[in-house]
Amino acid sequence: MSYFLISYFALFLPIVIIIYQLVPQKFRWIVLLAADYVFFYMLSGNLIIFLIAATLFAWGLGLWIGKVGQNNELAAKDKKKKKAHIMILGILVSLGVLLLLKYFNFFGENIGALANALGSDFVFTPIKFMVPIGISYYTLQIISYLVDVKRGNQEPVKNLAKIALYLSFFPQIMEGPISRYHQVGEDLYAGRPITFENLKFGYQRICYGLVKKLIVADRIAPLVTKVFGDYQTYDGSVLLLGVLSYTLQLYAEFSGCMDIIIGSGEILGIKLPENFRQPFFAKDASDFWHRWHITLGTWFKDYIFFPVSLAKPVKKLAKNIKNHIGKTASKFTAPFIALFCVWSCNGLWHGPKWTYIFYGMYYFVIIFVENLLEEPTKKITAKLHINREGKGYRVFRFVKLFIIINLGEMFFRADTVKDGFIMLKGIVTNFHISELFANIWMLKLERADFFAVLGGLLIIIIVGIAKESGKNIRADIAGWKLPLRWIFWYGAIFLVIIFGAYGAGYTTVDMIYAGY
Amino acid sequence: MEQLIEILEDIKEGVDYNTCTTLIDDQILDSFAILSLVSEIEDNFDVEVSSSELTPENFNSAKSLWAMITRLQGEN
Repeated sequence: MSYFLISYFALFLPIVIIIYQLVPQKFRWIVLLAADYVFFYMLSGNLIIFLIAATLFAWGLGLWIGKVGQNNELAAKDKKKKKAHIMILGILVSLGVLLLLKYFNFFGENIGALANALGSDFVFTPIKFMVPIGISYYTLQIISYLVDVKRGNQEPVKNLAKIALYLSFFPQIMEGPISRYHQVGEDLYAGRPITFENLKFGYQRICYGLVKKLIVADRIAPLVTKVFGDYQTYDGSVLLLGVLSYTLQLYAEFSGCMDIIIGSGEILGIKLPENFRQPFFAKDASDFWHRWHITLGTWFKDYIFFPVSLAKPVKKLAKNIKNHIGKTASKFTAPFIALFCVWSCNGLWHGPKWTYIFYGMYYFVIIFVENLLEEPTKKITAKLHINREGKGYRVFRFVKLFIIINLGEMFFRADTVKDGFIMLKGIVTNFHISELFANIWMLKLERADFFAVLGGLLIIIIVGIAKESGKNIRADIAGWKLPLRWIFWYGAIFLVIIFGAYGAGYTTVDMIYAGY
Repeated sequence: MEQLIEILEDIKEGVDYNTCTTLIDDQILDSFAILSLVSEIEDNFDVEVSSSELTPENFNSAKSLWAMITRLQGEN
């Protein structure tokens, strides 16, 4: 089952909607939970046991933290300590399961290779683990819940069903967004009736997601696979087209999936957090990550960046640096350490591959340097009388960020870091535009695909510009006269049916982020 | 409160801290600015700010920041 399949949006989702609406409000949570578990079972079979165990664990530990010191048997300091111990236990167990299932072989193989390089004859035997879908997502949700309960920012949830709903909501189990309990927990249980407005807006958003995925991402996917697979044989110009196409594929695929997920939630009256906010309009790499995979970024900020920055040893180190080196060096000490932790985790979170770790380190360096140079850059541009809000500077900023993003995605997609560097070398040193025109129709991209992708891209750009200017497109369209509205939405549906990449010769491409 | 406003202005100028109530919600203060602010608050008001205090409710305005500082001073 995939969110892009007709069996999801035209069969599974409507069945859930109908049953949900027919059942009395107080029992609707049961329909939702049943739908969640059926959906999960279809994806992961018996591995559903991991989800059930994780749910019981998070629920039990939340209650345990809440009970600490309830009878005033502990001093405030001891109470805090005991709560922290339970929280740490929860994090270690949750992360332990994730690390074991997803990363055991990766670490084992690398430790083995290192031992061999040092002369040991250690042989690592990989173990084949079955990994339940969505484990990276629900593990982060469990951690956020336990930390929030420990911090006192979230009441421990007594009702097991609420935690079960929070950790398994079927539209978000495969690709996120990573939500916090306070954002969705109570709404999932409330069983509010489905309104015509929600149904209409939800399916409109799903339709837009399908345009992105089926018209853009899936049509460009064969070209990306071909170029990245045979990169040694291509000129730099073709490689560049492959890299740009991959960035487009990834954005259309992931943000399209989010449209379907958030649209599905909207139908059921659940407002899931947004995961994208016109990322290519960002002013720098930090801003880009405030707009791309937003919920992962805010999770890392709240549960890694700030706790690491404010940890006592880090504060102590920053103070020592302030006394011995200076205020500026001290100011960047905590962010340097915290950013390193964040981006190591970000890289690893995407999977057990060196390319992902490299991708994390790439953004660690860029974002740290950007922040380090922010003040000097402001001073220099002021001295040179450069208007930072002027058109010229904004174009420069866009080009710089566009290069950074594409370079990052190239390493992210490459099979190995070495492959990424070979591709980069090819683009820089062996670039002949004539080769692009000579090869373009031999890259598994038909003319029809090309024009469909171009049309889809144009739609994405227009919608992006409108949203960035603060326009509410759906509300605007809702204000149109009825015949015009019907023409527009039927047009959109036919667009997906006619230009979507399916039928003979096409298969729906797997969802990239479902693998993380 | 005046001292707090001065600290805020040092960290990011051009914001009306007397009226602004969306310092976090509108991303006026980014993560680096928040860390600088915490460090200044700890040095100037003799309090310890833990990561559990870093919520929009505490950091969205100068007024809410001041309420947090006063509360932390009371807990010391």
